[in-house]
Amino acid sequence: MSLHRLVIDAAKRHPGRSAVDGPLGRLTYAELDARAAALARTLAARGVRPGDRVLIWAPKSPGAVVAMQAVLRLGATYVPADDRTPLPRILKIAYDCSARAACSTGPQLAALRKELGQVVACVDLDGPHELVPGAGPDHPVAPDDCAYILYTSGSTGAPKGVSISHRNACAFVEWAVRELGATPDDRFANHAPFTFDLSVLDLYAAFAAGATVTLIPREMSYAPRQLVDFLHRERVSIWYSVPSALIHMMRDGGLLDGAPPPGLRAILFAGEPFPIAGVRALAKWTTARLLNLYGPTETNVCTYHEVTPDDLTRDRPPPIGLACCGNRVWAERADGSVAGPGEEGELVVDGPTVMLGYWGRERHTGAYRTGDIVRVLSDGSFDYVGRRDSQVKVRGHRIELGEVEAVLGTHPAVGQAAVAVLGTGMDARLAAFVTVEGTAGPLSLKKHVALRLPAYMIPDEIFFIDMLPQSYNGKVDRSALLDLAG
Amino acid sequence: MNGRLTEAELTERLLAFFKDRFLSGDPGDELKADTPLLEWGILTSLNTAIVLNHITMEFGWHVPFEQVDATRFKDVASIAAMLHASQNDAAATS
Repeated sequence: MSLHRLVIDAAKRHPGRSAVDGPLGRLTYAELDARAAALARTLAARGVRPGDRVLIWAPKSPGAVVAMQAVLRLGATYVPADDRTPLPRILKIAYDCSARAACSTGPQLAALRKELGQVVACVDLDGPHELVPGAGPDHPVAPDDCAYILYTSGSTGAPKGVSISHRNACAFVEWAVRELGATPDDRFANHAPFTFDLSVLDLYAAFAAGATVTLIPREMSYAPRQLVDFLHRERVSIWYSVPSALIHMMRDGGLLDGAPPPGLRAILFAGEPFPIAGVRALAKWTTARLLNLYGPTETNVCTYHEVTPDDLTRDRPPPIGLACCGNRVWAERADGSVAGPGEEGELVVDGPTVMLGYWGRERHTGAYRTGDIVRVLSDGSFDYVGRRDSQVKVRGHRIELGEVEAVLGTHPAVGQAAVAVLGTGMDARLAAFVTVEGTAGPLSLKKHVALRLPAYMIPDEIFFIDMLPQSYNGKVDRSALLDLAG
Repeated sequence: MNGRLTEAELTERLLAFFKDRFLSGDPGDELKADTPLLEWGILTSLNTAIVLNHITMEFGWHVPFEQVDATRFKDVASIAAMLHASQNDAAATS
């Protein structure tokens, strides 16, 4: 039970098949295996040992996949970060997880060497790493060893690392391969960035099946016509993304204008509710299975629902369904009792996909409270209702508004700042409301945030106001903010 | 593409679009042709889609997915250069 054995085993079974494909480059299983082994040797020579954390700060690319595999082969933990994540946040993450090494390339590597080179081994992803014939490192791992850490937006203003074990990830991957009946002929599209847990299915379900994962470049991820072209030309058989991307493809990319790609047999979506009109349109267009997957990063996927003809007559998004991956899932009312059919409660998850914990904090034990409010349906499955706190999601990315507000507040010209989400679903936009002293334009503020937070946390719109509206108790009146935006 | 434009004209048109669409008109005139669009948070993935749609509508060119990358979209000047090259390609094949 380990993520890296999936590639090692697939490379033995069919070395010449494509493991990674698409406009960013191609690797056969033999090439992925050999390059991962070579980089693993380099990392080992630079001091990486089992249990260490290795930061991978790189654009989505076959090279980043190689790096993930290399780290796992040493019994170490990889920490993925998009290359557009700003350096200050990368340094926070590197310190938080006590990274032993960092894999990167280009200007990011130079910046890492300058900032961390004295204490962290900085390794060039692009090599050269000596390719040595024969089996490479394959350190045995225990099921509860940490495989990767995904950093998410934290309510305290600092990112927090969700630690996922081999057991956690493999329980999900094994379920997904079984549920999808994945075979070596499948071509999984990878839409999500590697920092987003949706990518775990694309990569590892493909590797477990000896199939191909075809990488969608970041810049293309919401380019509707290009995504539709990609779907056809890359002969995708299994698509997985946030609903926003699919809605873009239908509305602005002409997805429904032509016939579906002949091999397309499953469309999976997760991360946000999918308006039923969009699901209906997809169901009319294709005979591919439509599956709604649910689960916060902390639990991976813990429930799922396959869309049925009956669902299409609903007036709300499809259910998030029933427990999967060996988990137990229930809704808990405010008094702690289990909610029954027709009742609402907080969704609670217990089982093999629940995280090890947040890095640097006490290990998580027992059930995980998702903070999501659900309604129990008559068949025991669940409908998503909303959040019990202020956490929001924009195109599947969860965002703690306080973290964005805290960063805006450090701009020298900003007096007060509040952030809200305007619109819903694919039209959701992050809006900042600020009071400023002196001159500070929208570009100055966006740049300030972009240099400190991931791209998905940069406000789409900035409103300059004289003062923040307050409610009677002195707190920011968020509903009045939305009125200010018109 | 509707009439051939010089690279400078393309740059001006794109700058005007970026300022209007993403920077509330850019009252401080901060956006320049070489301002890094990606690093400074102007061109998020969603905004890239808006720009691609604008290129199709305004200039009649559908950017192939192989050309949607960080190098060609790093700043307004680079996008204008890509558009200009596409005009030349179209002229050469017509």
